[in-house]
Amino acid sequence: MIGFVLGRSPLHRAHPYTTLATAAALLLGAFALTRPLEVWLLVAAAVAYAAVGGVLRASARTALLLSLPIWVLLFVLHGLLGAEPRVVLGPVALSAPGLARALVLGGRVTAIVLGFLTALAATSPHRLVEAMTADGAPFGRAFLLASTLTVLPRMRERAAQILEAQQCRGLRLGGSPFARLRALGPLALPLVLGALAEVDEQVLALDARGAGGAARRTALDPPRDSAAQRAWRWALLLLVAAAYAWKFWRLGA
Amino acid sequence: MTALVTLERASFSYPGAARPALAEVSLELAPGEVVVVTGPAGAGTSTLLLVASGFAPRVVGGTLTGTRRIAARRCGLVFARPWTQLTGLCSTVRDEVAFGPASLGLPREAVLAAAARALDLLHVGQLADREPTELSGGELQRVVVAAALALAPEVLALDDPAAELDPEAADALYAALPPLAASGTAVLLATPDLQRAARVATRAVEMADGRVVASGAPAEVLSGTEVARLARAAGCPPPYPIDAAALVRRVAP
Amino acid sequence: MDVRLAGVRYSYGSAEAVRGVDLVLEAGEQVALLGPNGAGKTTLTRLLVALRRPSAGRVTVGDWEVARRRPDEMARRVGYVFQHADQQLFARSIEEDVAFGPRCLGRRKPPVGEVLEELGLAPLAGLHPYDVPAPTRKLVALAGVLAMEPRVLVLDEPTAGLDHVQRDAAIAALRRRGGDGVTILAVSHDLGFVADAADRTVVMRDGRIVEDRPARELLYDREALRRLGLRPPATVEVGEALGLPGRPVRSVEVVEAMRGIRWRQAPV
Repeated sequence: MIGFVLGRSPLHRAHPYTTLATAAALLLGAFALTRPLEVWLLVAAAVAYAAVGGVLRASARTALLLSLPIWVLLFVLHGLLGAEPRVVLGPVALSAPGLARALVLGGRVTAIVLGFLTALAATSPHRLVEAMTADGAPFGRAFLLASTLTVLPRMRERAAQILEAQQCRGLRLGGSPFARLRALGPLALPLVLGALAEVDEQVLALDARGAGGAARRTALDPPRDSAAQRAWRWALLLLVAAAYAWKFWRLGA
Repeated sequence: MTALVTLERASFSYPGAARPALAEVSLELAPGEVVVVTGPAGAGTSTLLLVASGFAPRVVGGTLTGTRRIAARRCGLVFARPWTQLTGLCSTVRDEVAFGPASLGLPREAVLAAAARALDLLHVGQLADREPTELSGGELQRVVVAAALALAPEVLALDDPAAELDPEAADALYAALPPLAASGTAVLLATPDLQRAARVATRAVEMADGRVVASGAPAEVLSGTEVARLARAAGCPPPYPIDAAALVRRVAP
Repeated sequence: MDVRLAGVRYSYGSAEAVRGVDLVLEAGEQVALLGPNGAGKTTLTRLLVALRRPSAGRVTVGDWEVARRRPDEMARRVGYVFQHADQQLFARSIEEDVAFGPRCLGRRKPPVGEVLEELGLAPLAGLHPYDVPAPTRKLVALAGVLAMEPRVLVLDEPTAGLDHVQRDAAIAALRRRGGDGVTILAVSHDLGFVADAADRTVVMRDGRIVEDRPARELLYDREALRRLGLRPPATVEVGEALGLPGRPVRSVEVVEAMRGIRWRQAPV
């Protein structure tokens, strides 16, 4: 499940900046932390984040699917092929430092993907644009950001339709890697071309409705912010800064 | 009455195109008119709409030669596919229609009033709180037209607006155009649906290969309606009757 | 090739879109499928090409049971033209795109040139699909399916957005295929198209077939058309206005029946 999901969770009701800032903190924090325990505490934070957003089950499932190939790669690269000393786990002898490395890298990916999916699910593009409009951001910037949030679900729907159409023209799915490669053209090209043509039309339609104008847009229903949320966002900023400070201090020491 | 749009021997080429899309076109648009532009695919009808409403070359690029005077303060634009004309950011129909006035930076009350007026014009006030994605094609297209009208444009250009609609919805959309024109808007309508166009047009323009080949009363110009073609094939001399009632009047006793 | 649906049902989750449909299309029949939006027409057409599997009942095309086949296998027998087929084009030229379907099916010498000629697309053969307007792309998509030489054609709103020259070309191409014994099922709101291209009209409502009549009968039945929210096609309007004998429905019939009419020179 990728994309905005309607809901009434605290994350949905919070100011969009708060929801996004928390996800950003998870992302940045993931790179600041270097030890398995720390990274997995962050993963726990990401899980909590998803739970608060009410999207834990859906996000976790997608996050797992997306990060599984990376986990396998890490396991092989670092766990099996890593340096001495080795620790025996059942039938395999894994490299201890390698395993630690795999846990850190894998944990990072998991935290980031989970955070990203949750942010996507809990941030309404509409509210985000309203928030940016209320702050005086030019519409173009706000629209660009909001569009990136909606592009995936739209593309998916389109891709499904194109897949059906090409199958009905005799395109066989599956088969040899070479056959799959050749199927990319009929599947990906119409998606891109169609999307570009649609963008053309949408740009005109929006321009006709004054989107490119110089006036400052009226925010009709700006999301409410609160001192507590602002404080939380500042706290996140400080936390991330502290994490990086600690990382560099440890590296130096 | 001053013309809202005047084109004198205007030619237009899209960026990088070998042939001009419009060649030496002259056209005048006055308030209260419903001008129907017809022609085979590729004749330049869509381009004429974009040039007359001022969106070409400003938004789409290209080069315009000849004379163009646009006295209208604002022009609206409506395309065939409802979904590509939505902002994708609004969770209610009201917000979608209010998007235009909000872009002008009008105060909140004025924005909502303009939206309410536009919704009433198209008789879709009862859909105001619905989500755009839930609506049928016909309802959505009327919302799109309302969204264009919310800015009170003096010229409304529509490019085959009923192409995706079922016959009832198409009839309802076309029926909304004469009252709109009567209130002072100039309506410019490009469509291959000549039978419907004949019911609402006050003037007709026929194009071929980027040129205007005929211009005048619908009864004379719309020789491509199904009834007209039947009459022509049956030996009726020009000008061909555009609907069944006119055909009956042409039969000698 | 005949198409048979027996006791076919289909549900999207808890909503039943097709509720027990029995329909037989004999080889060479040209049938228009009418009905309000949401009646289940598009779903029904999807069932014919294995894009959906029925939750009950049987769908057969010739001797093939559709439920046992994949969509790309069904493409060998059934040509499906989607409503927004203009979105499926991708090749560098129109000619190449029309050749794509036949190539997938392994056809050695597909009639690409002939089909392009037939639909008036030959002058555009070398252009990129996105260099022509969307209605023309729709026609290209039709060409692509016709070049696959299917024995059954299923079309979803084939004339929407087309200008009358394109419409006439499409109708002529379909009539020609019908004459060759191709079975045609077209979902359409365009009664002018139905009048010229269909022999039989089947009406669906709420997932069921509620009417199944010769096109001539339905098109002159004002009450039935009113229930469907449709106006009679131009040919029927003219036929009724002039009181033409024999209830002509096709353009050629109406023109023939108008032979002998004397016309006033100028409009009164």
